[in-house]
Amino acid sequence: MTQPILEVVGLTKRFGSITALNNVSFDLRAGEVHALCGENGAGKSTLIKCLSGIWPAGSYEGEIKVNGQVAAFHTIRDTEAAGIAVIYQELALVREMTVAENIFLGAEPTNRWGGIDWNKIYTDAHRLLNQYGLHLDPAARVGDLGIGEQQLIEIVKALAKDTKILLLDEPTAALTESEVEVLLNIIRDLRKRGVTCVYISHKLDEVFAISDRITVLRDGTSISTKDAAATSKSDVIQSMVGRKIEDLFPRRSTTPKEILLKVSALSVKDELEDRLKLDNISFEVRAGEVLGIGGLMGAGRTELVMHLFGAFGERAAGEVQMKGKAMPPCTPSTAIACGMMLVSEDRKRFGLVLDKDIGFNQSLASLSSLKNGIFVNQLKEANRNWDLFKALRIKAQGLETIVGTLSGGNQQKVVLAKALMTEPDVIFLDEPTRGIDVGAKLEVYELINQLTAEGKAVVLVSSELPELMGMSDRILVLSSGKIGGEFTSANAQQHLILEAAMAHS
Amino acid sequence: MTQKNSIRNYSIAIGLILTWIFFSVATDNFLSARNLSMLFIELAVTATLALGMFLVLLPGQIDLSVGSGVGLIGGIAAVLIFQHQWNAVAAMAVGIAVAVVLWTLMGALITKQRMPAFVITLGGLLIFKGFFWKVIGNETVPVVAGSGDNALSLLTTFYLPPKLGYVLLAVLALLIVINKINARKQRAAYGFQVESGEMSFLKVFITLQVLLLAILIMNQFRGVPLAVLVLGVITYLVYVITSHTPFGRYLYAIGGNHEAAVLSGIPVDKVIIGAYALLGVIVAITGFMQTAYSGASTTTIGNLMELDAIAACVIGGTSLVGGRGNVLGVLIGALIMATLLNGMTLMAVSPETKFIARGAVLALAVWLDVYFSRK
Repeated sequence: MTQPILEVVGLTKRFGSITALNNVSFDLRAGEVHALCGENGAGKSTLIKCLSGIWPAGSYEGEIKVNGQVAAFHTIRDTEAAGIAVIYQELALVREMTVAENIFLGAEPTNRWGGIDWNKIYTDAHRLLNQYGLHLDPAARVGDLGIGEQQLIEIVKALAKDTKILLLDEPTAALTESEVEVLLNIIRDLRKRGVTCVYISHKLDEVFAISDRITVLRDGTSISTKDAAATSKSDVIQSMVGRKIEDLFPRRSTTPKEILLKVSALSVKDELEDRLKLDNISFEVRAGEVLGIGGLMGAGRTELVMHLFGAFGERAAGEVQMKGKAMPPCTPSTAIACGMMLVSEDRKRFGLVLDKDIGFNQSLASLSSLKNGIFVNQLKEANRNWDLFKALRIKAQGLETIVGTLSGGNQQKVVLAKALMTEPDVIFLDEPTRGIDVGAKLEVYELINQLTAEGKAVVLVSSELPELMGMSDRILVLSSGKIGGEFTSANAQQHLILEAAMAHS
Repeated sequence: MTQKNSIRNYSIAIGLILTWIFFSVATDNFLSARNLSMLFIELAVTATLALGMFLVLLPGQIDLSVGSGVGLIGGIAAVLIFQHQWNAVAAMAVGIAVAVVLWTLMGALITKQRMPAFVITLGGLLIFKGFFWKVIGNETVPVVAGSGDNALSLLTTFYLPPKLGYVLLAVLALLIVINKINARKQRAAYGFQVESGEMSFLKVFITLQVLLLAILIMNQFRGVPLAVLVLGVITYLVYVITSHTPFGRYLYAIGGNHEAAVLSGIPVDKVIIGAYALLGVIVAITGFMQTAYSGASTTTIGNLMELDAIAACVIGGTSLVGGRGNVLGVLIGALIMATLLNGMTLMAVSPETKFIARGAVLALAVWLDVYFSRK
């Protein structure tokens, strides 16, 4: 057996009294794609941070060996020198600079006068982009590119530094299906060139499509490392969660009752550009029903729910009725008063005040109903907060834990608690399971069941087809702002939905 | 998080104690009852304005025009009283009304027209200063003391008789103790962690000690100045507004995450305009106190006071991008700024050195803040 290119032996990392990694061992063979799976909080990110020198040598116990030699990384520069580069979920590109400038940021080639050699930057960038089959203009401004393309540039930037080991932390979290495909092809290409990749993702389809071996982490320990060919998805999920999961999408349908929300021939203009973002959309949602909204990225799914909630665009035509009453274009506060609530797709940007505690965030949208004169009725507030905190099983010390310190799944639960506290009749869930682990996903699905059983209507926007098909009673597919197709749960099939999503593109 | 905050809070308190020790050694009469009474009046002016600034910093806004506003509103009141023989209370009511209108207008421009607060209030700084000079006709309008019914001059010349001062102390002590006991009961009822009894006792004990000491000192001179009472009332009101009303929560939420605040159904524009309107009231009150304390309305009244107010907030831990800060911090920050000015004046430090020292303290405080937030 050949020597592993990188080896982690008995790594233990503690934060105060909390053990984030407990005796983790793991090895990388040269030229393989090695997937790391685990729920949020299982220790994947901490492991990556130890490998990349963010947590320097000495702050953890155990050893990291590169090519058999014990390595002591103290800074990110040390790891770069050892040929290790990390691609994080959050992009680290300068939006105002060009593609080429970003690729060589911090390593600009200079001419003999000490100035930047612009010719070399652009020709080298062009060569690198071509080498990986990316047809991008090196002189394009990064901010003008899509998230997917930016992600790819980030990878090229890492590879420009003569990288041997690439650590990818959820690289596809924000990518569309076609962009994911490009990314996976690049990784396959890298494997041929002998670059070793560590691939972290919640999306098991991708993990199985790309990896040679899979290591599962749970509660800070390494549970198993297996050849991808010798294991299965359900096997991996079981190791991740620690118990057997019978049904990934436990939708329990109820008989739909009266119409709660009715949208007729709705057209919406973007306030900034003078073109229709949504064109002639009609649908209705009944009490006790889950309406799924599918479509490709940019099809107008988020814009649709944001507009109904009063937070996007200018209504060009059409009518919206809530519980039989016409609802003119409004602001979020009136939408909430009418019985709507939105859980947005980006919880950090649109959902949470990260510096504040759980209680503050949960009750933020409901304070007008928790008033006692001009004061907040703190007893009532605390009681409501505790009820939801317990009902949603938020894992934290208490209501006074700062939201920014929680894991993604628990942050999402706080956003959901905030939404539920307003007691909505129609709740829009925009990508409610993005970036959260299998266990938390199941809890969100159970919550959807509970809401519909109580006679509320759920509008579920999702990019993940299995989730969309598994949890919706009916599916509305948008395509370039128009309706591309409508399905019931009985006649929804993956290829038909995809076809409908491209109907108008 | 709490640990981090406490290190930070201690660092401000230690800074304050160090400045006091320095000035008591460096000057003969810093700790004299007379000087400390003056310092408390100066604190009342600086801290009142800082508390107003705090209200607009919380939602991530700023106001550079408050210094000119202090001059303008004080000037309006002084001219009405001493040149047009108005009743002082009526004149001050007019001043407050004018301030509320002006600050509401600025708040509306900032929110509805989406103009940056920095620019609007920079314009306000110049415009208000111009109007101020027009109002007083580029002259000095003396605030005549003496006549008993002159409420404007009383603001900084009236002292509570010592006996009343002790009564006040007793009432405050009782309220603080009752409040603490209630708060402990409530926290338990809300299912929150309750601090240990010793900790609660220590906090109440130290608060009462500080109050007792302050009132003893002030009583050694002439008693508790009216301006200090005004500061006390405004401090309490700002505390209640920011900590116990939905409006206050919204201020924090808007500063913490503007977009999340909008999507939570918070009437963001109204809340920001409301904060500016309240700041207007506070600017007017500060204007009266500062004009009265200076003994006249002259063209230099209010100069650079906006910077002292911002500095007091920042030293006290208020974030300039919004969402973070508390009333106690602002008070301590204002006390540091007021102490510096008072102490340096006693030491007969030249004006140019005073500017440099104030700037250096501000930079140092912000550096400490950044340093401890990184830890």
